[in-house]
Amino acid sequence: MKKRYRQLLASAAALSVLSIMLVPALASAQGQASRAFDGHPDLNGVWQAIGTAHWDLQDHPAAAGPVDTGAIGAIPPGQGVVVGNTIPYTPDALAQKQQNFENRWTDDPEIKCFLPGVPRATYLPHPFRIIQGDQKIMMVYGFAEANRTVHMDKANPERSPIDSWMGRSHGAWDGDTLVVDAEGFNGESWFDRAGNHASYALKVQERYTPMGPNAIMYEATLEDPNTFTEPWTIRLPLYRRLDENVRVLEFKCVEFSEDLLYGHLRKEPTR
Amino acid sequence: MNRKRIVRTFAAALVCASVLPSAALAAEADYHHVHLTTSNATEAMKWYTEYLDCQPLTDRDDGVDCFGTEVVFESRATLGSSQRTGIDHISFSYADLTAKMDDLASVGVGGSGVRLQRFEDGSTLRDAPGLFKYGFIFDPWGTRIELVEDSDTLGFHHIHLSSTDPAATLEWYQERFGGEPAQLRGQLDGLRMGDIWLLAMQHEGGAPAATAGRAIDHIAFAVASLDPVAGELERANVQFLEQPGVPDGGRTSAKRAIVDGPDHVSLAVVEAGFAGIVSKMDEVTDITTELRDYTVPRTPWGTPDFQGVWTGDASHGIPLQRPDDVGDAAVLTPEQAAARRERGTLGSIWGYEAEWRDTTLGYVKSAPSRQVAMVIDPPDGRIPARTAEGERLRAEARAARRPLPEGPEHLSSWVRCITRSLVQTPGVYNNGFQVVQGPNHVAMQVEMLHETRVIPTDESPFVGSDIASWRGDARGHWDGDSLVVEIRNFNGRAPYQGSSDALTMTERYTRTGPDTLEYQFTIDDPKVFTRPWTGMFTYVRDESQYELVEYACHEGNYGMTNILSGSRAKEADAAR
Repeated sequence: MKKRYRQLLASAAALSVLSIMLVPALASAQGQASRAFDGHPDLNGVWQAIGTAHWDLQDHPAAAGPVDTGAIGAIPPGQGVVVGNTIPYTPDALAQKQQNFENRWTDDPEIKCFLPGVPRATYLPHPFRIIQGDQKIMMVYGFAEANRTVHMDKANPERSPIDSWMGRSHGAWDGDTLVVDAEGFNGESWFDRAGNHASYALKVQERYTPMGPNAIMYEATLEDPNTFTEPWTIRLPLYRRLDENVRVLEFKCVEFSEDLLYGHLRKEPTR
Repeated sequence: MNRKRIVRTFAAALVCASVLPSAALAAEADYHHVHLTTSNATEAMKWYTEYLDCQPLTDRDDGVDCFGTEVVFESRATLGSSQRTGIDHISFSYADLTAKMDDLASVGVGGSGVRLQRFEDGSTLRDAPGLFKYGFIFDPWGTRIELVEDSDTLGFHHIHLSSTDPAATLEWYQERFGGEPAQLRGQLDGLRMGDIWLLAMQHEGGAPAATAGRAIDHIAFAVASLDPVAGELERANVQFLEQPGVPDGGRTSAKRAIVDGPDHVSLAVVEAGFAGIVSKMDEVTDITTELRDYTVPRTPWGTPDFQGVWTGDASHGIPLQRPDDVGDAAVLTPEQAAARRERGTLGSIWGYEAEWRDTTLGYVKSAPSRQVAMVIDPPDGRIPARTAEGERLRAEARAARRPLPEGPEHLSSWVRCITRSLVQTPGVYNNGFQVVQGPNHVAMQVEMLHETRVIPTDESPFVGSDIASWRGDARGHWDGDSLVVEIRNFNGRAPYQGSSDALTMTERYTRTGPDTLEYQFTIDDPKVFTRPWTGMFTYVRDESQYELVEYACHEGNYGMTNILSGSRAKEADAAR
């Protein structure tokens, strides 16, 4: 088992190197990133992931969804976004993941309209907007009114005084890549609808590298000694939404979770 | 630095109540008093008069007479309850304590209310065999008050020290300040000082906290001449917290010294004739709303720059509409403003500690706003008349209220953690918002309920009118130094003052100084109001102390579970 991990890690490392070489190649292939007034890449706009990472970060076959939703609710098959496809859980954390999976239709924070955490907010099937000016960068997500302020203080971060769902984000530019260290999480978030998870000790390093004006390669390296034996990385592109006058519309999902959460406490119980 | 968001500092009007001794006591054991710190003398005087039957003093405007013992108030920062300090509580005695406690319980904790301490069985009174009935309450500023039924001593009853060595402590006091060693009802060791008791109990668990700055700041004793006594204390190696001298603002030329007594209880020693000090509010920033000679900073791309964290703390307590009792005054007097803020914040925080309120609202940094009311148009400061449809909608909303909510939809959008209000009326906590700007957008992350309003400023069109939402669709444009935001497409489900889905709201943000941001909102809802109306208040910037925290409301909404399950329990009770 251990040996296989090492092999996987080795191939993960190899993939990393490959991707570092690939990203500039992609940028030149698809046109240059737009530039902000100060010369940094201009990430302003509405972005969205396409794919099935929100269902399961790892490779997964098609499967039935919740009852009574027919083909609309079925889970499409998907190619994973985990580099090497393996999440290096400790045995306990793996058991927790499996338990989460069993109870996903009631326990997933997403089904309850809870704040999604990082990196999950990025690849939920909802658009998000990046607002980038001359100071902090804000990321405003479509789901659950989640948002993050990226404090551009990565070199000398002001740590989060309290743990939270979305954590605290410290950013800096590394050439054309926006690097964001996110920490200070409360350990309640999941990473997908398959129950992948981490603890409050989670530290995420995200890299947003433009692949041209309309795509960003998103990478997130996750480190949490309570949950994982090694850091691991996900990688997926984010696409600019080019729809006319596109907006991240208000999606207050709280009311759609209320029957799930409080239906048994209604005068006429619905659960 | 990290602490700043938890201890977002604030302003503190420092008040202190002094319990001055009766004339009889002064003659016998010298005059002494207890300093209680509160944050507004006027409100504290009202509280002790109304609930503990003290009387206003005739010769000064900062104290009350409690059964011959004077309680005098003076501005002072409050750092927490007296409980667990070296002066745990003071005590009042009533002939019928059960009736008194019932009276106090009926006051409730709202406003400058009365907080009752409950025992484990839920009761507020206990009967100690051979002693008397007793219970505890707190004043709104954290002073713990024991109420007893001791017919031997009615009125102001005792001061209760909490000491690591009660016997030695009482001896220390007696040696220096007199009093007769005695046992109260043969059970509690203390000193009899005139009509009242100085008691000392064994402090449980570690050492008591120092009293300085806490709700009971210190107790004081009077002497004929201070210098010889101070000399004695010095020789006994007692530490001086304030050297003997006439204090700043002293009403008379009598001297005072403050020393660090046993268990870090602060003790004032004052000369005969000492009459307190004239309290003065700390130097604070007055938030004015007039435009100043101020050049609004610009972003690198040329628009006015609003970036940073803004808070409504300074505007907390301004009523929406002009109250009847202020006539046509343009602004409140500073005293009226201070009293209004005190009432407003106490009313909002009732169950919370006053010191938490003080730290949260930054009272040390900003004077209370003197603005009379938010509504500036119509000029009478009142919301205009409603249309017939507006009245009908209001009646309908009232009729839909349920004493026991049947489900979430019977509760407000705020309780449900959906959205708080279309106008970010400065609440008592978490009222900040953070602005980040990009070339074509202004993003406002609103702390309460973690909503982020993204306002395009690029002349892009509104979204289709079928896309209704709780907070509506906003578009902004620059008007000189102001950001003007128009919002439409409301779903009408989070009404502001009864507004409907026909509402168009216009906001105008203007920086009036480096740390002030004037906010105007115009409510134009022809379905509900007979004319548009406009409100205004000022946000302040306080980056050194205020930082937004994640207000994950829905995620921890135990209130919903409790309200709904409580309602079901009440229904079950009623059906029984």
